[in-house]
Amino acid sequence: MQSMITVKSDSEFLSEAVFDHFLTRHSELPQWLVKLKQQNWVDYLALPAPSRKMETWRFANVKGLGVDTFRLAQPLAVEEGQSLIERSNRLKNTSGKLIFGNDDLLAEEELSEDLKAKGVIFEPLERAFAQHSEILEEFFMAQESALGSEKFAALHTALNRNGTLLFVPENVEIDLPLVSYHWAQGSESAVFPHTLVIAKDNSKVTFVDVYGAHEKDSSQLACGVSTLYAGPGAQVEYHYLQNWNEASLSFNQLTTIAQRDSNIRAFGLNIGSKHARNEGHTIIDGPGSNAELFSLTVAHKDQEIDQRTLQSHNAANARSNLLFKNALQDTSKTIFSGLIKVAEEAQQTDAYQTNRNLLLSPLAEANSLPGLEILANDVKCSHGAATGQIDDNELFYLLSRGISKPAAQILLVFAFFEEILEKMENEELAEFHRELIHQKLENN
Amino acid sequence: MNALEIKNLHVTIDGQQILKDLSLTLPKGEVHAIMGPNGSGKSTLAKALVGHEDYIVDSGTATMDGKDIFDMEVNERSREGLFLAFQYPAEIPGVTIANFIRAALNARQPKGEDVDAVAYYKDLYSEMERLDIDRKFTSRSVNEGFSGGEKKRCEILQMSMLKPDYCILDETDSGLDIDALKIVADGVNHMRGKDRGILIITHYQRLLNYIVPDRVHIMWDGRIVKSGDKSLAFEVEERGYDWVKQEQTASV
Amino acid sequence: MSTETAINIDREKGNFSYDTQYEYDAGIGLNEGVVNYIADVKSEPDWVRKFRLKALKVFWSKPMPTHWATKDLENIHFDKFRYYLSKGQQPSRSWDDVPADVKETFERLGIPEQERAFLAGVEAQFDSEAAYSNMKEELSKEGVIFVGSTEGLKEHPEIFRKYFGKVIPIGDNKFSALNSAVFSGGSFIYVPPGVKVKQPLQAYFRINAENFAQFERTLIIADEGAEVTYMEGCTAPKFETTTLHSAVVELVALKGAKIQYITVQNWSANVFNLVTKRGLAGEDSEIKWIDCNIGSRLTMKYPGVILKGRRARGEVISIALAGDGQHQDTGAKMIHAADETTSNIIAKSISVGQGRSTYRGQVYIPKHLKGCRNNTECDALLINSNSRTDTYPAITVRGNNNSVQHEASVSKVSAEQIFYLMQRGLSEGEAMSLTVNGFINDLVKQFPMEYSVELKRLIDLEMEGSVG
Repeated sequence: MQSMITVKSDSEFLSEAVFDHFLTRHSELPQWLVKLKQQNWVDYLALPAPSRKMETWRFANVKGLGVDTFRLAQPLAVEEGQSLIERSNRLKNTSGKLIFGNDDLLAEEELSEDLKAKGVIFEPLERAFAQHSEILEEFFMAQESALGSEKFAALHTALNRNGTLLFVPENVEIDLPLVSYHWAQGSESAVFPHTLVIAKDNSKVTFVDVYGAHEKDSSQLACGVSTLYAGPGAQVEYHYLQNWNEASLSFNQLTTIAQRDSNIRAFGLNIGSKHARNEGHTIIDGPGSNAELFSLTVAHKDQEIDQRTLQSHNAANARSNLLFKNALQDTSKTIFSGLIKVAEEAQQTDAYQTNRNLLLSPLAEANSLPGLEILANDVKCSHGAATGQIDDNELFYLLSRGISKPAAQILLVFAFFEEILEKMENEELAEFHRELIHQKLENN
Repeated sequence: MNALEIKNLHVTIDGQQILKDLSLTLPKGEVHAIMGPNGSGKSTLAKALVGHEDYIVDSGTATMDGKDIFDMEVNERSREGLFLAFQYPAEIPGVTIANFIRAALNARQPKGEDVDAVAYYKDLYSEMERLDIDRKFTSRSVNEGFSGGEKKRCEILQMSMLKPDYCILDETDSGLDIDALKIVADGVNHMRGKDRGILIITHYQRLLNYIVPDRVHIMWDGRIVKSGDKSLAFEVEERGYDWVKQEQTASV
Repeated sequence: MSTETAINIDREKGNFSYDTQYEYDAGIGLNEGVVNYIADVKSEPDWVRKFRLKALKVFWSKPMPTHWATKDLENIHFDKFRYYLSKGQQPSRSWDDVPADVKETFERLGIPEQERAFLAGVEAQFDSEAAYSNMKEELSKEGVIFVGSTEGLKEHPEIFRKYFGKVIPIGDNKFSALNSAVFSGGSFIYVPPGVKVKQPLQAYFRINAENFAQFERTLIIADEGAEVTYMEGCTAPKFETTTLHSAVVELVALKGAKIQYITVQNWSANVFNLVTKRGLAGEDSEIKWIDCNIGSRLTMKYPGVILKGRRARGEVISIALAGDGQHQDTGAKMIHAADETTSNIIAKSISVGQGRSTYRGQVYIPKHLKGCRNNTECDALLINSNSRTDTYPAITVRGNNNSVQHEASVSKVSAEQIFYLMQRGLSEGEAMSLTVNGFINDLVKQFPMEYSVELKRLIDLEMEGSVG
């Protein structure tokens, strides 16, 4: 495969010149960050492009992953920004909202005075880099990629300039979710959304990232990184609703660190992107912690949704449970590659991993690579993978009640997904997931 | 003395003292029953006697025909003649009942010698018939997928095959319907004899209608608080454990 | 009920060697000269020599698969092995004609005795060549062929060439290429249409010399409606230096045929055992691999079936026992290539001490196929706190007319199980061994009695040592 970076000094493609220009334009960034960005740009250039020979990219269509044809996203026109703000209204009951368009902050709903007084921080990174530099210096990109996208993490670090910092102090519980909308616009635009959630001891918070595109057809690159820190006893719920347009290429790396007795629930939804690559690394660092990881994917046409996960159990007496469900139409393709790693010291671990695929067309392709690496003996670990289709009897039953075939199919896909949807306690959020799934199935 | 003798036994589990100065003598040839409310320490006594490592003996002695059993490993106690019919027997997937009982019998043979296979199966089938256990059971995995009643009957089957000197039956009646209860009781009664002591642990008097005990002990808060003949069991059934409780409180 | 004449898989029993004089020795190291030497000694036809030389080039060109497999592969030093050693004899049809030291070796391993007891034919390979090869007369009359690979390719070229290297091409992987370059020994079996060979045919592979690497090559063809069971066993003395066993086994089951291939692998702990095994299953045929790995330092072996004919069935039953210092990297491959094909994989592994067992599986159902099914189960049992297990399946399914199911679990022997068994009088070691035997009992039942008794005995030995 040819080099991903073609230096065209006269263009705005992602090149050395673009990176230099980026640093010049953002002279306000703290020195530690500038250094970090410079180092990562060097790493980005040096790291090899994905190849199918790499275990971490097995089965992936790596040909479609070139990023050298994208440019840094440009500021939106005022009316475009306005229309995106209006579209960022699906969740009404929230404790705070940030709306980004092409990595610029378009609008925000600030925290209540009460939460501010308790010390909660909910800020766009463009401000946080200045105001909370000490927190970011410690936590920003502090976790290494473990699942193959080192190159894209380096690119993200070099070119990121916005996103969310959510800091919840000890013992603070926030009932309503906080949400960030990330919109991309323009042909060949590249955005680099970032999320950093730090939930201190015994705190409780729900955070939602929503990703979408301004227009349907222009190809964009989204290269994001999210990191969640659940401190001792903290309860963190995270939703990731990926709805980029279907011409786009998206990378997302989610790292979750669970400390002692913490509880984590993560819900991912994959609707958009021509090719989406998600990497989820859950690090169980504290005993007594419990991580539940769910994902729903609806893939159609020639979409490729490639998800790689790692459940790293480094502490004893902890539990993690992963359930990823994919429904595939047309010639779409999914890859689920999961690994549970139990370290020698992580005795009494309960770790589970399940991937279920529902094939809805004769040409759809589901790949499952569920893996286990177990170095402790007193564990309960299992994985399962099953790929099948809609039960003909169930379909026939629905048809016999006068339901049309497409409607019956939608019902049965929802039945397949229900196991995860019913786990969402926030009704409005669950409804949001359902709506996106429904829209996609209806439009097929 | 030909008896299972327990003296001043103190047992702790998870740092909590459950048995508090329990003494009891079960002579060979007799059947005793221990009755008591939930949490009085009945099952703890059973587990501690056979040597479960979670049950810590703080003080006290237990001897079987004069031999200190607390000096012995779990399997040594078994080979010396102590048998526990578990309240909740473990499941051992893939190990058939026939192979399991044979392995237990072989463990009792001199090193390098095994029981005769033909004689073994003859014994096994006749005991199974007595306990109304289908022959097909021999090829089923130990306790795996068994109903409650099947598990209990399988415990009695092992008991009758291993012919121990002292048998402890831990809540063997729980979860059995009357028909199953009668079969189990018949099996136990068949085992009664001058060379064997049997200790029945139960919450209810019901089983004692079918296995009539020589002595009945009431257990309360980790010790034996009252002993008597079989009529004591009826008294408890009629007046409930609160009666013992009141008597106890009154005597303090 | 037990037959004590079984093949010896007690590790110590195979641990002896004879100081043998070899007539032919290709020397130490690997080059074109060695390949030519083998072709010369065997007086092979020209097409075989070309095949070998081509394979050697492919072998050199391929990297070690360390990007997915263990780095321990780097400890294989191809320049330290001896690639061909033989006394130059033709395989004897009678044990009386086998050279004394070789005959004594196989007698100590109990092979002639088993042949009398329950086998339809035996081939006994000593280093590079078979010392003995014989089959019951009535089978020859029915047209069954059971000879060494060299005899097969010379005497039956019309059948041999049609399938040789077709199921496992030279370039399938680095080790299949190596085998293709230097292969010697192994069996060629042809069972004519409709012939059902009732008793198993057996091959026994013996490494006798230090630094000797063994590369047998087996090709089994069951013609339409034919049935055959083949068993292989192996041992080597425990030498200080490492050595290599790298076989290639190709099976072809034509329409309605059944092939069952049973392996009990008990190489000594200095052997790298890197084997490629695959079957091609025609319409309504059935190929079943029963694969048991107990010995070796590192085994990498993933028996596979290409389900090429409609309604073909493939099955892999796999048992692995990894003790201290051992890595059993085993698994299965099921490649569906026709409608209504079904495959089944059951793999159970036990890791003891610092042993490591790894399952790798591949299930592939391409588009436009209908009614294909796969079921996979992998269960791992970990005995000690430093034991290790890994599971790496890869499953690809296309199309909404097929279904696969994969389940894996990891467990340990519970303290309550051991306590229960000890309360019945068993020692901790006996309790452990009974439980472990129970874990694999359903699979061991599928082995012939002679093997299953020995398997149980070996596990007893291992478990006695695992508790302390």
